[in-house]
Amino acid sequence: MEKKIAVYICTGCGIGEALDIDALSKVATGEYKAPICKQHGFLCGQEGVELIKNDIEAEGANTIVIAGCSSRVNYDVFSFGPDKIVERCNLREQVAWCHPAGDEDTQMLAEDYLRMTLAKLKNLNLPEPYQVENMSKTVLVVGGGFTGLTAALESAKAGYQTVLVEKEATLGGYVGKMYKQVPMKAPFTELEENGIPALIKAVEDAGVKVYTSATLEKTAGAPGMFDVTINQNGSTVEERVGAIVLATGAKPYDADKLGHLGYGKYENVITQAQFEEMAVAGKLEASKVAFIQCAGSRDKEHLPYCSAACCIESMKQALIVKEKNPEANVYIYFKDIRSNGQYEHFYKKAQQEGVIFIKGDVTEIAENDGTLTITADDHTMGTQSEADEFDLVVLANGMVPSAALGDVVEEPAQDEAAAAAEEPKAQAPTIIKANLLNLAYRQGPELPALKYGFPDSHYICFPYETRRTGIYAAGVVRAPMDMLYAQEDAVGAALKAIQCIEATAVGQAVHPRSGDMSFPEFNMTRCTQCKRCTEECPFGAINEDEKANPLPNPSRCRRCGTCMGACPERIISFKNYSVPMIGNMVKAIEVPEEADEKPRILVFACENDAIPALDMAGLNHLEYNPWVRIIPVRCLGSLNLVWINDAMAKGFDGVLLMGCKHGDDYQCHFMKGSELAEIRLSKISETLNRLGLESERVRATTVNIMDYDKIPAMLDEFAAELEELGPNPMKDFQ
Amino acid sequence: MEQNNKPVKYDLNFAREIYNLENGSYIKQCMQCGMCAISCATREIMDYSPRRLFNLIKLGKKDEVMQANTMWNCTSCCTCKARCPRGVPIIDVMHDLKKYAIQNGYADYPQAAFYKAFWAEVAGRGKVFEGGVTARYYLLRGLDEVKKAMAMKDVGLKMLKHKRMPLFPPKKIKGLGNLKKIIKKAQEIERREAR
Ligand code: SF4
Ligand code: SF4
Ligand code: SF4
Ligand code: SF4
Repeated sequence: MEKKIAVYICTGCGIGEALDIDALSKVATGEYKAPICKQHGFLCGQEGVELIKNDIEAEGANTIVIAGCSSRVNYDVFSFGPDKIVERCNLREQVAWCHPAGDEDTQMLAEDYLRMTLAKLKNLNLPEPYQVENMSKTVLVVGGGFTGLTAALESAKAGYQTVLVEKEATLGGYVGKMYKQVPMKAPFTELEENGIPALIKAVEDAGVKVYTSATLEKTAGAPGMFDVTINQNGSTVEERVGAIVLATGAKPYDADKLGHLGYGKYENVITQAQFEEMAVAGKLEASKVAFIQCAGSRDKEHLPYCSAACCIESMKQALIVKEKNPEANVYIYFKDIRSNGQYEHFYKKAQQEGVIFIKGDVTEIAENDGTLTITADDHTMGTQSEADEFDLVVLANGMVPSAALGDVVEEPAQDEAAAAAEEPKAQAPTIIKANLLNLAYRQGPELPALKYGFPDSHYICFPYETRRTGIYAAGVVRAPMDMLYAQEDAVGAALKAIQCIEATAVGQAVHPRSGDMSFPEFNMTRCTQCKRCTEECPFGAINEDEKANPLPNPSRCRRCGTCMGACPERIISFKNYSVPMIGNMVKAIEVPEEADEKPRILVFACENDAIPALDMAGLNHLEYNPWVRIIPVRCLGSLNLVWINDAMAKGFDGVLLMGCKHGDDYQCHFMKGSELAEIRLSKISETLNRLGLESERVRATTVNIMDYDKIPAMLDEFAAELEELGPNPMKDFQ
Repeated sequence: MEQNNKPVKYDLNFAREIYNLENGSYIKQCMQCGMCAISCATREIMDYSPRRLFNLIKLGKKDEVMQANTMWNCTSCCTCKARCPRGVPIIDVMHDLKKYAIQNGYADYPQAAFYKAFWAEVAGRGKVFEGGVTARYYLLRGLDEVKKAMAMKDVGLKMLKHKRMPLFPPKKIKGLGNLKKIIKKAQEIERREAR
């Protein structure tokens, strides 16, 4: 496409008062030879938009630069059809609203931003969506327990073909074997009949294709075209599906490890699952029952986490005891009662029914004359307590996700040369061979785990999205949770699967870049088979052929650009995002000479949190350092070190990376991006030294969206530190 | 609190008796959060905060509960009741406990004598005469207290002078008989409400 550039400078919202607009126009028309450059006092108004549309029609403008407000607002107003490029130059939130009006430095900043936007256009093209014929719109649900059945039902009800695979001979899972279930509706105080039979019927009626006694032998492909091999009783069937919900549930924690609580020693010490069996069999006859909470959970020796469902399950079982025998005495020994959300009402109900709650640690369980005696430290009383004549003790033995059951995949042994090079490298994710999906992915057969074997997913914003696009974890395989929560999970994950199917069909990305049609393209002639892209892609999007050539799967890709940042040969690029594109932006910035005493700081800011935070700083009219020049990046993971090289060689005094928090409680929208950026950064000190520069000049910092008020101080501090180091000696050599 | 080394036992019999009082069953739903304790204006001079008192009840510590001054120091200010997240009507429970303590012969707190005197005065006259309450109180408390009372005579005289206390008993109210009927009815309801 031959670009015909038209630049529109909006002078409303205080921009006109803050800047010399004519001088700014000269940047466009003079330096960049833009054929059209106009000003308007209210560009987002009807008249302003008409002005642009006229130029599109009459003048053939097809590449529109809006120099005004942030790209985070008015994107619908400034949209002129899929065949027009629209670029926004943020003169409002990031210039006029956070820098003094009429100031020389404010003007320089605005002019640089316009230069950067115009320079960006050179390597920017309209993306062409990646589409494949005959994409499948079928949803596959793995696991036929409460969550899986719910997800399958929801997906079928939404009009999607649904396939359900269950490894047992019957559907229903753990909940299916229960005598009664916890309340699922207001007022959250009444025991409910087991809802699984009705759910199974609904699933069957909805036309879900069910495979029981079946497992996934192999899952190959990508969203829209997963090819799964289902092994049912030894014979295999192939299905093509669009997206997958993983709802394989959890297993109760192995009670044989709870000998200290009398399990295996005394016959009447049982687990929650055994209690259900007894109740179903009508063998529940007890007049004094104790429940021991956190049996195994919240215990460093066993499960370090809270299993989340056992408190209310014990309350339920206590009420079942009371229901059978109102005179029965029921004690619940607990660390803390964690009856989340609405289940607080259930807790109160159990208390009202006379269940005795004792906050304390059980120190001993012993048998005397056929009954059990419990000694405990009663924390509310601050004394030891003893209670005897129990005829049943139930251990709330918690849960282990099915994804955690199996051996950890060992990392392939490094060849010696690589080991000797000792490059700082991101740790490969933990993958456990749990035999759930058996992915034919270069990166391993199952979903990467975050902690305790639970599949990694962004716990705040995108809980169902795992690190394998198109595969959504729901229910207790994802995190310990109660039934109400699992129900919500099932619905949420089914919806995510549907979104993924629909987005993939039109070549769009799923969150967090939903709608994005660009995808990475590889200039394979220059690939050195270094494997960095395959290893670093947080989503396992890139497979490999026998010769170690990367084989990208665009529909698995989330468009973060991490591969682009990783590639040392710089051969990975998007139509509208590439190494040379950002490089041109860096080069377009004017760096004053040392004598001018105007330092320059380059900021690479993540579009997901840091850019909105910067915009919010502007929105709140917080003034910040005028030496900074901000370049938005898709994710810090897309940071290519050559940009830093370019910046330092050009005379920038420092470079700051603003991205999301990483670590176990990461907030990075692409999970590993900001961590990888920091690892890359640790490699750059050598390069800086070669240039005779201090490594402190390049720094990474974490910003979340609510940190906007800290941004001025953050930038000032960095500027002050750079001042101590003195100006970049490269300045006058450019 | 008890400091011997023998583990305590949970004795549910006492708890059951208390749960059977008019508002007693609410104690079951106390979740030991301590909101009442931090809200109580007289917590400092109580043997146990309401929270601890309720826990002692659960544990079956009858003597500790009954001999505690907690309910007697409750001023019925209602702050705890208003704040309790579990809706325990704490001051009503306190009233029940006071009554239970009196009925079970645990009432040797000065406050208990005062309550009795006050009650006898209201029930007998239909209104309160400070002189009458005082007289009844000292009769109940014995001669030692009279000496203390003499030490307070200046206060009494001043109250007389400022007309804060009449010298002679006021007349009984009209329809005292009806009042007694009302009280009787209320007591019936109370018994009915208690489980
Ligand atoms: S839900 Fe309750 S019993 Fe289960 S681990 Fe958490 S605190 Fe312990
Ligand atoms: S690193 Fe990001 S952009 Fe590259 S293939 Fe993976 S998901 Fe796509
Ligand atoms: S990172 Fe670049 S050079 Fe290395 S394998 Fe991937 S595409 Fe090839
Ligand atoms: S505020 Fe209510 S629930 Fe909390 S300790 Fe006091 S009585 Fe119990």
